[in-house]
Order: sequence, then structure tokens, then C-alpha cells
Amino acid sequence: MQHNFPFSAIVGQEELKQAILLTVVDPTIGGVLVTGHRGTAKSTAVRALAGLLPPIKFVAGCPFNCDPAELAPGCPHCDRLQTSSPKVVNRSVPVVDLPLGATEDRVVGSVDIERALVDGVQAFSAGLLAAAHRGFLYIDEVNLLEDHLVDLLLDVAASGVNVVEREGLSVRHPARFVLVGSGNPEEGDLRPQLLDRFGLQARIRTLTNIEQRMEVVRRRLDFEADPEAFVLRFSYEEKKLRSKLSRAMKLRSSIQVSSEALSLAASLCDKLAIDGHRGELAITRSAMALAALENQKIALPSHVSRVAPLALAHRLRKDPLEPAADDERVRRAIGEALN
Amino acid sequence: MLPLPALVAFDTPRLALSLLAVEPRLRGIAFSAPVGSGKSALLKGFSTLVPDIHSIDLPLSSDTEALLGGLDIEATLRIGTKIFRDGLLAQSNGSALIAEACNLLPDQTVNLLLGALDEGCVRIERDGISRRLDTRFCLLTSFDPAEGVPRAHLLDRLGMIVTLPVVSAHDARAEILRRHLTPHDEEWSEELELMRSVIYSARQLVPEVTVSSRIASQLIEVAIAMGVEGHRADHFARLVACASAALGLRTEVTEEDADLAIRLVLMPRATQLPQTAPPPQAPADEPPPLSGDDKSQEPQSTHKEDTPPEPVDEVLDAITMELPAVLESLPFAHQRSGRAGSRGAIEGSRGRHIGSIAGSIRYRRLDVIATLRAASRWQRLRPKGRSRVCVKADDFRVKRFRSKAGSLFVFAVDASGSMALNRMRQAKGAVHALLAQAYVHRDKVALISFRSDAATILLPPSNSVELLRRAVDQIPTGGATPIAATLLKTLEIAEQSRRKGFKNVCLVMLTDGRANVGLQGDRTLIESELKALGRRLGESGVRSLVIDTQRSFISHGPGKSLADWLDGQYLYLPNASAEQLAHAVKGYRANTDR
Repeated sequence: MQHNFPFSAIVGQEELKQAILLTVVDPTIGGVLVTGHRGTAKSTAVRALAGLLPPIKFVAGCPFNCDPAELAPGCPHCDRLQTSSPKVVNRSVPVVDLPLGATEDRVVGSVDIERALVDGVQAFSAGLLAAAHRGFLYIDEVNLLEDHLVDLLLDVAASGVNVVEREGLSVRHPARFVLVGSGNPEEGDLRPQLLDRFGLQARIRTLTNIEQRMEVVRRRLDFEADPEAFVLRFSYEEKKLRSKLSRAMKLRSSIQVSSEALSLAASLCDKLAIDGHRGELAITRSAMALAALENQKIALPSHVSRVAPLALAHRLRKDPLEPAADDERVRRAIGEALN
Repeated sequence: MLPLPALVAFDTPRLALSLLAVEPRLRGIAFSAPVGSGKSALLKGFSTLVPDIHSIDLPLSSDTEALLGGLDIEATLRIGTKIFRDGLLAQSNGSALIAEACNLLPDQTVNLLLGALDEGCVRIERDGISRRLDTRFCLLTSFDPAEGVPRAHLLDRLGMIVTLPVVSAHDARAEILRRHLTPHDEEWSEELELMRSVIYSARQLVPEVTVSSRIASQLIEVAIAMGVEGHRADHFARLVACASAALGLRTEVTEEDADLAIRLVLMPRATQLPQTAPPPQAPADEPPPLSGDDKSQEPQSTHKEDTPPEPVDEVLDAITMELPAVLESLPFAHQRSGRAGSRGAIEGSRGRHIGSIAGSIRYRRLDVIATLRAASRWQRLRPKGRSRVCVKADDFRVKRFRSKAGSLFVFAVDASGSMALNRMRQAKGAVHALLAQAYVHRDKVALISFRSDAATILLPPSNSVELLRRAVDQIPTGGATPIAATLLKTLEIAEQSRRKGFKNVCLVMLTDGRANVGLQGDRTLIESELKALGRRLGESGVRSLVIDTQRSFISHGPGKSLADWLDGQYLYLPNASAEQLAHAVKGYRANTDR
């Protein structure tokens, strides 16, 4: 059994943790891109996410992760079931890895080679996109992903449907997932279209506090020495976080947005000249999710201003002559908008 | 090949290997070394230190399939169920993976190595197979800095980075020769045996080694002062210090152990000269939340009071002397860290496999899997002979490759003269405009400035807007105009890029002046020097565009003749905006690409 480093054992990096929690509370925010210095717990945090997710209901045996309450029309598996109330299993929300070097056939799904060779049957073997439906799709080093896979992802992320027309197969199944990526922009930039798909961007930096950094080393060593004991040591914190999350997820749909918060969101996007409306939507949804996390009923301007750097910094037009970092520019705009 | 103890003047590298043998969590070592310095013997020697570790070579040409593995078609057909063949990464579990010239490894290979080193496993999603295989290996690698630096991300994941000494002393050379010529086996086997037994004892001891919190915090202070990015280095430094103590058969880390950790782990990752003052960017709004941990175990307040221990300053002083050379030769310092990503990079002459189509196998490579897939759907209808699968010519699928035709633009900006800063801004703007389109054309851009007697690389070939922004704004200006030095620098960049597959290199030179510094210090030779260099640039496939920014109505003399010597194009663009400049460069590219 492979143990993941517990989420609550990550030292510092509050912005990163918050961004991840927000997308768990509201998947419609549109995923997180985690960028930053080498070796700053980017992928550790994302992998730790799996431990926080609550179980949800699936149709038993459906390789496309169908929701029993709402069978996807055209699901190659569930359409063949004769009953409208199929068997149900509880599993935690999937977190699926899309590793570099993956081939297209594994991503979208393709002919089941084994059955084709042995039985001569044209069967479909579901890919990673199907496995990630209703969950998270994680791409480490997303900026290094090959272009043809990025094209595929963009296509599916936009439509929520994976259509496979290849090798004599014709399959379509729903594929709605939260995209989570991590990478370091110094290794090459992300394609603008893909960047725009991410609701939030968390930028993380090397910690500069000696005490914190010593704690990072200490926890890493403890974890390596005895992962099981380490996970146990943080199990109480993890449990607390899980219940906080599930409470926020329930609360989420009843959150109201104050008109001041709405107008702050709009004026920020206007002031920063952000193209399109994804920015406004992401910032408002994140503000609501934050309110839910903090057990409040109304999203206020303070919520908006706290999530604004996460939701807007990566949507700014890039200007090499602008010395300030993008999130600094957002903070400046918040300051101006509030005065 | 010489046994490990026989390598002359390699005490530090040998020590590094021993440390890795004691503490495999250090993941690996990168040796920076010129050719013929004995680094192969060093890399291969590692497995002689630990009897249960063997070496596996990572050839430069390994492709994704070789690294990750894939469907074993033959076995699959024979047995009738999917049989997976392990790739190099999975096979390396428990071994030492040896990669010579990691700076020349294809980007895709490095990407896969990064993931495997980080997670200790390979994730495979290929050929209808989904696997997660454990693989813990040590990566031993070397590079010749003259051929370009490896990616900082790869180096960052290796515990130690060691620059091999250039053995120049006459005595040392003679000794090397002597050891090569005389039979040596018995002479060294005893010494090797000794090393082995020390390592064996140290491995038993290392879990018991303790570090005082003073030394632990000193290591981190040094890392912060040198601007080391990320937290991997902290972890590695601690491991090296502990392993070093264990090698000394001690259970307490001493100052010497810490010093070694600084040298092998932290110094090579420095991005700045030590700043003894605490970094100003420490965000005040980020309290140290040590959630979930036993807080009483370490009262934070007491530590802050006794933070200024003098030893750190002493250590830093010693380092400051040696650091500039390190900053120069390794890729971590900011403006030099520009090893750009895989996007736009080119993998070999055949390009990337982008898919397969039906076709004749006479001229192209057969895609076995696609062929079998195509054949599979007819198996029911085809007569079964002795073989399990019946494949017909119609089923053949051949691989399509696309070779990416990216260009590298080298912007050389004249930093002599009064309008230098203006030119720099123009160039940066133009570079940015080109990068915005780099996704379409897979181009990269490099930025160099020249003044006085040298040309300096501000941005190595990259397609990262992020790095461009970081490339220094404030460059020293004024002085003479060393065009010849600039051309040499361009040649160097062009050569390095060629190895990575960039065929088109375009030099864009922004200048308003006349070349007035030659390579040989004789002004009358400047013209012939430039002509000769121009020819060499031409031979290397570098095309030149000279952009004259001189605001003068009188003559286009110097710029024009420079363009002629370089057999390049000449453009007169005083006061051009960045957009106009980018437009001109794009136009030039469009004209010459045909």
C-alpha cells in the first residue's frame, strides 16, 4: 500500500492549499494550475488531495463513472442495462493521473487489444478521460505535455463529452472532470488556450522562514522513515479537514453573493482589462466557495478580494516590460478598487 | 578502465559516490566535467562500491517506448493475453542508471526521468496498458559544460552536483599515465575493499545520526542566503550531512559534515551571492502555521531569539569567494536558467511520431500495434492457420513523423552608446511579440548584449515569457562595440541549438555603431575578421539581419557594410516600436524560410 503525504502535513503554502480546497468545494470553478519554484510541494499537495475527497455513488461496473441518480444518455455501459435502478457502489471521487508519455489511445480509450487478439472482438477499453469523469484529472508538468494531447484535452474539457471515432469504433461518453495541473513556467509556457481553462492559478514560492523550512525537512524525513505512522499522526487533522470540506460542499448551493461583492468582482476584471467572462465567473464562484468553507452564508467583498489573485493573475495580458509579477498587479488593483 | 580508488585528484567525486552509496535517498549525482576527464570511470565505478547495485546505461537515443516499455507483441500473440515489456526506467529499480551527457538527452526523456525520480515510480498509460511500477534508482550523470548546461529541473532532483577538477598539474598527469600503463588490479583492490567496508558500516549507522538544531538551521540559513530555490535542497543537504557523519563513523553531525553538504548540495544551486541580511520578500502575512503537529515539541519563540549565530557568516564569507565561478557554470542562477521546455523542441531527425496511417511498409516504419488493431477486427472472418493472428497487407499501418521546423532567433543588442537602453527595450518587446507566436511556429529566442570587449547572454534559447521578464533590465552600457565577439557567441549558441535540432538560426543584430574592437586587438584586422566570421556563420546555417538604429540622415555606412560582410539583410529602422521590429523580423523569416 502506497501512502500519500497527508495534505494537512504540508507546511505553509496557504495559497496553494486554499486553491485546492476551493475547487473541491465547487468543481465548476474550473480546476487549479499550480506553478512555482522547483521542489515546493506542488505535486505533493495535489496527490494529497485524493485523501480528502468524500465517497460518491457510482453505477456498479460502469467504466464511465456514471452517476446512478442521473444515468448519462448514450453511456455505452448503462444504456445496455435493462433497469433504471442499477446497482450502486460507493467510491471516493477519482483522482486520475495523466503522466507524460501517455499515448492517445490510453487517454481517450481505444480497442481492447487483448479481446481483439484473443476473441477477435471489437470491444472498447475506456481511457483516462472516462476514469476521470466526475473527478479530477491531474497532469504533473502540464506545460511539458505533448501538443496533440493538449488539443484533445481542450476539446473534451470544452464539450464535457469524449467522442471516439477510430479503428472502427464509435463511442461517446460524458467526461466532465476538474483539471489540475502543475508545472514550472521556466520550463516553457503553457499554451494560452489551456491556461484559460484553469479557473485558478496558485503560485507558490520557496519558503523563506527558517523555522518552517526546518519543519519541512523534518516532516519529509519522518514520512520517509515510517509513512504509516506519519499518516496516522496527521489522521485527526485530515479528518477535521474532510468534515470541513463536506460541510462546505453541502452549504455551497445555498450561498448568496452580496451585490458589493459582485460589483467588486466586475470592477476588478474591468480594471485589469481581462478578456472574456471566465474571470468574473471564476472569481465569484471561488468567493462563494470560500464563504462556504468559512461557514458563512453570504459571499462578501472580503471573500472576493482574497480569491482575486488566484482567479485573475493568470488571465492578465502578459507584458514583459511590466516589472511586477502578475499577482502583484492584481493585489494593486484590489487596493485601488477598495479605496 | 581504472578502478575507482585509482582515479587521480578525484577525492571529492569519490566522496560524493560514497555518500550516495550510504544514502540512496540522495537520488543521484551530476558531474560537470570536460571530455576525457575520467568521468566514465567514475560513473561506472559506483557499482563497485556497493555489491548489490548494478549499473544500467541510459543511451542518448532512448525513446519514450524504450524508457516506459510497452506491449510485447510477440509474447502477447503467443500467449493470448496482454504481456507487458518493462522499459528502462522500471528495469532500473534498485540499480544505478547511468546517463552520460545529460545535457544532450532529449527533452521527453528528461521529463520522464523527472517524474520517476520524484515519485519513485513510473506511470505508464500506453498501448492499452495502464500500469504503475515502483522504481527506485540512482541517477549518475555527467555533462560537458562546453556543450550547454542540462536542465535545472533535472539537476535539482539529484542530491549532489560535483564539478570535476581539471587535472592540469604535471605531476597528476604523469601519475594518471603511470596508473594507466601499469597493471593495477591488486594495488587498488585492497583500497576498494576498505571503501566498501566503511560504506557498509556507514549504512548501518546512518539511521542513528542526529543533527543539532543549530546545524540544521545553519544549513537552511545558508540555502536562503544563496537564494536556493525550493525545498529539495534542504532535504538533500540534511541527508548529505548525516551520511558524511556516518562515513566518519560518527553519530553526530559536525561542522565539517555541514560544510560538505553546503559544498555538494547548496553551493551548486546558488542563484545569487550570499546575502547575509534576511531576504526582504519574506511575506509578513504568512505566519508559520505548523498545523497538526505537536507544537510543544519545538517552541518557536526561543529559536528566533538566538538566530544570529556567527558561524553562518563565516561559512558564507568562504563561499562568496568561490561562488561566482559556480554561478557562471551551472544553470541555476536566474538569467541563466533558461533551459526551455519541450514545446518547440525537436526529437531527432525523423521528428515525432504523430500517428499511423494505412500504407506500404517499404518506405516507412511499421506501427505494429496499429497494424494488429487493424487486423484484429477481421480475425473472426479470416481462416486461422497455425498463427493466432492473420495479418494481411491491407492491415499494415505505417508511422507518420512530423519534424518540427522551429527557428531560433538570436537577438544581439548593442549596449554601447547612448541609446542602448532604448534598444534593449525595443528588443525585449520584439522578443515578447515573437514568443507570443512561438506556439504556432515552435520558435525560440535568445537575447545577448554586447559592449566593451565582450558579449553576454541575457536569455539563453528559450520560449518562456517568464524568463524573458526576469532577464536583466539594467545592463551596463557604454564602451566600445565588439561585433566579432558577438558573432562568436552567436556561433556558440547556434552550435548548441543544432544538437537539439534547431536547423534555422537567425541572428538579429540591433546596433547603431561601427565595429571597433577586434578579437586580436588590431583595428585594421576587424574587417577581415568579421568577413571570416560571417562566412562561418553562413556555413553553420545562421542567417543575419542587421537592424540599424542610428538616428542619422547622413550615412547608413557602418550597418550597411556589416550586413554585407555577414551576407545578411540590412534594415534601417531608427525609432522603431517593438511591434514594428517584431514585424520586420517575421517578414524576414517569411522571406527566407522558403
